Amino acid sequence: MTYPSVYPTGVTLYDPARCWNGYTIFQAKEVGALLIDMNGGEVQLWKELHGMPNRVLPGGHLIGSTGERSTAFGSQDGIDLVQVDWDGNVVWRFNRYEFIEDPGEEPQWMARQHHDYQREGNPVGYYAPGLEPLVDRGYTMVLSHKNVRNPLISDKPLLDDTILEVDWGGEVVWEWVCNEHFEELGFREDARNLLFRNPNWLKTGGGVGDWMHINSLSLLGPNRWFDGGDGRFHPDNLIWCARESNITAIVEKKSGRIVWKLGPYYDETPALRKLGWIIGQHHAHMIPRGLPGEGNILVFDNGGWAGYGSPNPGSPMGFRNALRDYSRVLEIDPLTLEIVWQYSPVEAGLAFPVDANRFYSPFISSAQRLPNGNTLITEGSGGRLIEVTADHEIVWEYISPYWGRMLKINMIYRAYRLPYSWVPQLDPPRERPVERIDVTRFRVTGASPPGPRRVVRVPGVLPYRPDAALCVRTDIGDKSL
Amino acid sequence: MGLVLFTVSGCSRCAVVGKFLRERGIACEERDALGEGKTAFAEFYRAHRGAIARGREGVEFPVLSDGDSVRQGLGPVLASLQGGARLEAFFRCAEAPRGWVSGIEISAGDARAAADFFAVLEFLKREGLKLEAATDGRNAALLEELFRRDLADRVVMRLHGPPDVHRETLGGKTGIEEIEAAMTWVCRFREYRFETPVVCPSPGTPAPGGPRPLTPEEVAATARWLREATGSHRQPYVLVPCPAAAAEPPSSPAPACLVRHRSAARTFQVLTEIAPFAVR
Repeated sequence: MTYPSVYPTGVTLYDPARCWNGYTIFQAKEVGALLIDMNGGEVQLWKELHGMPNRVLPGGHLIGSTGERSTAFGSQDGIDLVQVDWDGNVVWRFNRYEFIEDPGEEPQWMARQHHDYQREGNPVGYYAPGLEPLVDRGYTMVLSHKNVRNPLISDKPLLDDTILEVDWGGEVVWEWVCNEHFEELGFREDARNLLFRNPNWLKTGGGVGDWMHINSLSLLGPNRWFDGGDGRFHPDNLIWCARESNITAIVEKKSGRIVWKLGPYYDETPALRKLGWIIGQHHAHMIPRGLPGEGNILVFDNGGWAGYGSPNPGSPMGFRNALRDYSRVLEIDPLTLEIVWQYSPVEAGLAFPVDANRFYSPFISSAQRLPNGNTLITEGSGGRLIEVTADHEIVWEYISPYWGRMLKINMIYRAYRLPYSWVPQLDPPRERPVERIDVTRFRVTGASPPGPRRVVRVPGVLPYRPDAALCVRTDIGDKSL
Repeated sequence: MGLVLFTVSGCSRCAVVGKFLRERGIACEERDALGEGKTAFAEFYRAHRGAIARGREGVEFPVLSDGDSVRQGLGPVLASLQGGARLEAFFRCAEAPRGWVSGIEISAGDARAAADFFAVLEFLKREGLKLEAATDGRNAALLEELFRRDLADRVVMRLHGPPDVHRETLGGKTGIEEIEAAMTWVCRFREYRFETPVVCPSPGTPAPGGPRPLTPEEVAATARWLREATGSHRQPYVLVPCPAAAAEPPSSPAPACLVRHRSAARTFQVLTEIAPFAVR
């Protein structure tokens, strides 16, 4: 993909009349938890408070983490999960999952939290009418890590994903451990063979296989499928997705069994083939009750590289053997697997496939359904947030100005829009439209103004053709071929 | 009727018993239960079905009969041959990984039979087997001797609850001092762990005849006792789930029913874990 080396950051586009206006919270790279308004004004920074992700709760509280375990011994292990108030005072903490004694480090309890969590009262962690997360009580579902061995999967130690229910006192009262459900995941023999040899081997901590890499966790919450008698969609059930395996699954809270699953293969039924291969996806969740599309699964289908299976030219060993160089945001009916709505390079107005990788984040990223039917998309790797309407028009865009010093990237893991009312400490800000710049005319200081200084006409030249051939075909998406 | 030993070809444990018989000059008729003695064993099995246990891979061999009683498994058979009924309580038939002998119950036997008990263990060690011994604190002096003779490769100590519950479970005759002495000896073995069997809470399904369910608070008190007796909060401490009733099948290998107990125990023993259901 082509990035200019110079481009504006902050808010670049804003149509207040068509946006669902509110604050936006995200983890600014190596800066902290940053709350911005619709014009990109930085209304509060919880300085250096980590967050994977950060979320604001009603009352101006924030959830994050006070730090991460050394990468010499762990991978993305949050030391704790904390709730702080508007002034940064810790009002709740969870860290008592595992007592860690890393060489040269102070022994301590750690949550080993990564990627996601949910506070009781709201199944998905973002605003939905009537589903407010609790602030001063309730359980928190936490996605965590645990090192395990399971010879059915691999002869190597595994970095496994666990789901915890933590009470308000910070004690773990329920646990789901992914490797114990290996046989329910449906890996084919070629994938099992590869997983045994290479369970996504990381060198950290002497070596572990990050075999699933679950990167989202939410509850289903009240939904029409359960109301209609389908027990798989019990409101307490949990949905997660795993980037390395391309699997999205629903776990029955009562039994721990996987009762609904998408992936790891997308070639087994006509519906799956029509859906297409979901690769390295993030933030799969059920759109909560009260929002347009409620009950459907919303997911950021990253593309990039993921999966285990047979070798192919792009994957000589079959490791990360599914490849695609653009992303899609998909809203999927969980029963029919029909795509109800999507935002992909085509909807973004990009020439497909030649310019498709202009909508592409091969890792992180997310999508949030907003009450007016818009969708807030975090195109994470480039630090870009966009709010798009149901008919795919961008009505708000923000580019993070925060590049890391250690990792020189302005990535945003996941951003959330929240109502102004959740921050009662502030008066709602003034909303000022930001018109789209005509980039064909825009010039930076010192650059020459647009347009040729002299025009010469050549006799006999033909006009450009609208169907001019390119070096590559542009009909790859034509399923009739 | 004389002694009859049922073995199967290729059974290394059976070969160990055969060597024991030859070394001690004990007369015994040996029958291949899957070969020439198949019919005889089938008849024997029908007649003693209740006394012969079947494991995951069928009947555990060797099986010894003296006409009146049946002994099954390497440890119980050797104990019977070495010391007769006096030694039986020290050994039970238990599945163990290849090369290991488990089911050695230090606390269950009569300490006056110590000489024969250690004679069996020394024979097993000479045969190159690894031994896992279990204790609940009774016969602490035998545990100490076991350590001094370097006969156990792994020791497991069962704690049935906090001090009062544990003593009550043992019949109330063993002093706390002896139990705590055993705890400290356990920690001196090269490999060891402490275990507490915990009945999974299951409202409406009482466990007739089984241990009473421990609350998370009682498990925490057990962990605290372990910390105080051994001076360490980092003991390998495992909660062993016991299904409350057959009506409650385990939903996963690490049952969620004990997670609260584990959280409570970790206040005092930070490495507390839950053992998988029925994989021991």
